[in-house]
Amino acid sequence: MKASNLIYAPALKQEFRCRVPLKDARQLFLVNGKVQGGNAPLALRLEAGEPMDRMLQIIGIRSADGPQDLSFESSFHFGPRSSGRIILCAHTFSLDFFKTVERVKITLEEGAAAEFVVMQNEHNRAEHETDYDIVLGPGASLDMVFLSLHGGVIRNHIEARLEGQGASCRLSGLYLADGEQRMDYDIRLTHQVPGCRSNQLFKSILDDRSVAHFDGLIKVVPDAQKTEAYQANHNLLLSDTARAYTRPQLEIYADDVKCSHGATIGRLNPDELFYMRTRGIPAAEARLLQQLAFAGEVVEKISSTELRERMLSLVEKRLRGEFSRCQNCSKNCC
Amino acid sequence: MNTLLKIENLHASVGEKEILRGIDLEIKAGEVHAIMGPNGSGKSTLSAVLAGRETFHVTQGAVTYDGRDLLALSPEERSWAGLFLGFQYPVEIPGVSNVNFMKAAVNEQRKQRGLEPLGAAQFLKLMREKMAYVEMDSSFSGRGVNVGFSGGEKKRNEIFQMAMLEPRLAILDETDSGLDVDALRIVASGVNKLKRPDNAFIVITHYQRLLDYIIPDVIHVLYKGRIIKTAGKELALEIEKKGYDWLIHESE
Repeated sequence: MKASNLIYAPALKQEFRCRVPLKDARQLFLVNGKVQGGNAPLALRLEAGEPMDRMLQIIGIRSADGPQDLSFESSFHFGPRSSGRIILCAHTFSLDFFKTVERVKITLEEGAAAEFVVMQNEHNRAEHETDYDIVLGPGASLDMVFLSLHGGVIRNHIEARLEGQGASCRLSGLYLADGEQRMDYDIRLTHQVPGCRSNQLFKSILDDRSVAHFDGLIKVVPDAQKTEAYQANHNLLLSDTARAYTRPQLEIYADDVKCSHGATIGRLNPDELFYMRTRGIPAAEARLLQQLAFAGEVVEKISSTELRERMLSLVEKRLRGEFSRCQNCSKNCC
Repeated sequence: MNTLLKIENLHASVGEKEILRGIDLEIKAGEVHAIMGPNGSGKSTLSAVLAGRETFHVTQGAVTYDGRDLLALSPEERSWAGLFLGFQYPVEIPGVSNVNFMKAAVNEQRKQRGLEPLGAAQFLKLMREKMAYVEMDSSFSGRGVNVGFSGGEKKRNEIFQMAMLEPRLAILDETDSGLDVDALRIVASGVNKLKRPDNAFIVITHYQRLLDYIIPDVIHVLYKGRIIKTAGKELALEIEKKGYDWLIHESE
């Protein structure tokens, strides 16, 4: 399937309105793992030099008429020097128990450039586990932002291999959990050739009894000189019972590299809070501003202003606790 | 004249340590009071207690502000009631822009007074107008609150915020520290522009210098958590010449 053939197809059985209908984006629905209106999994292929003229939003939906347990695969192949921007949304239609195991393969050939925004927004009884298998060729560049907004269990395993010289990969993620939610990020990023760059920034905000794990490894093989690789994981705990586990790791076998990693687990800064309150900003609102400031560093990696603002407003609604108040629907986007 | 603030026998501690040991002070609308005193005398503690900082515990005494029990109010309620603290060390808030910070503050104050929030255009106009008070460049609006500001810029930002919020009682905690003469003049003239018959200022300072620009009605000297001397503005000059020792001896 070519990107230029994708058609907006809103004729779903249940009503679904995406709150992020970006002006120039195409939409494609992936219902229970199949491209809507057919039986095929999603396999997108851009030919050499082909630019995607518009952003493509792929709306993945779990509905009650599909199986409770579902596994499927999608693939994105960017030919040499092709480019595109893709939004991957994961939603649930009903509040049934869903378990989704997904495999996403992203291949960028020489000189290809892609931006992905992954937005995961399901409900407390949904489990979603995704394996991302990413390969970058020479000079390819991938910019990927993960926003795990809501879900019972969300696990993202990211395996990225920089296989061509001059490739660059930026992975950023924001994961928000409260109640009994659990979110895991498991990242293996390998520099297999010299002269590549990678940058990871992952941040969590955890409330109630939620638990998050971050397990990130940067591996630099013996010949991958002139590698630049950075990784950071910052966790903000809002309650005494939320837990964050973090394991940033470097495994470096080359000697001429610039690498760093770091992790923090902290609370909202009380001096900032007091300062804002003395200006008349109520404590709850001040805490929200602090959280938005913390989250903003990730969201601002999204290049489209329009999408960035939509995502920020979703993050704000999420942090205000409005998602868990929704009774009829689990999408919280409206 | 109306009493705006009345402090009676105020004692406050941090942990086991008593820092304020019986303060009495009365401030009327239209007045400017200066509080001076050596390091560690409790000046900043007094301002923090008045603003509602929870790290300090009031163990005795009362504070009445505009007829209300000030100590029963949260920091934000004190702000809504017209109290303002200019920080000695203004806090940096990365990721929150000055404009969003002030918008949240001003609109909350308006909400408390039953007013509609200001529209974007009105708000920016107000911001520009008040930034001019302290000769602050408009490029500061988009930057994170106090992030990367120089000492002088931070203090100007405090006065700018004060101008935005138009408090009835402003406590300026060592607003002059770390300022060069030009910044001092700008900050002082900002304060003087905001002076009205119905508001009052408490200016906390180490030096007489600031009081050349902001003329106080009364000067209090704080030492070991007590006011040991209250006099007119000429006391500042005497302190500048002779230091605090003679006052301390006198009080002991």
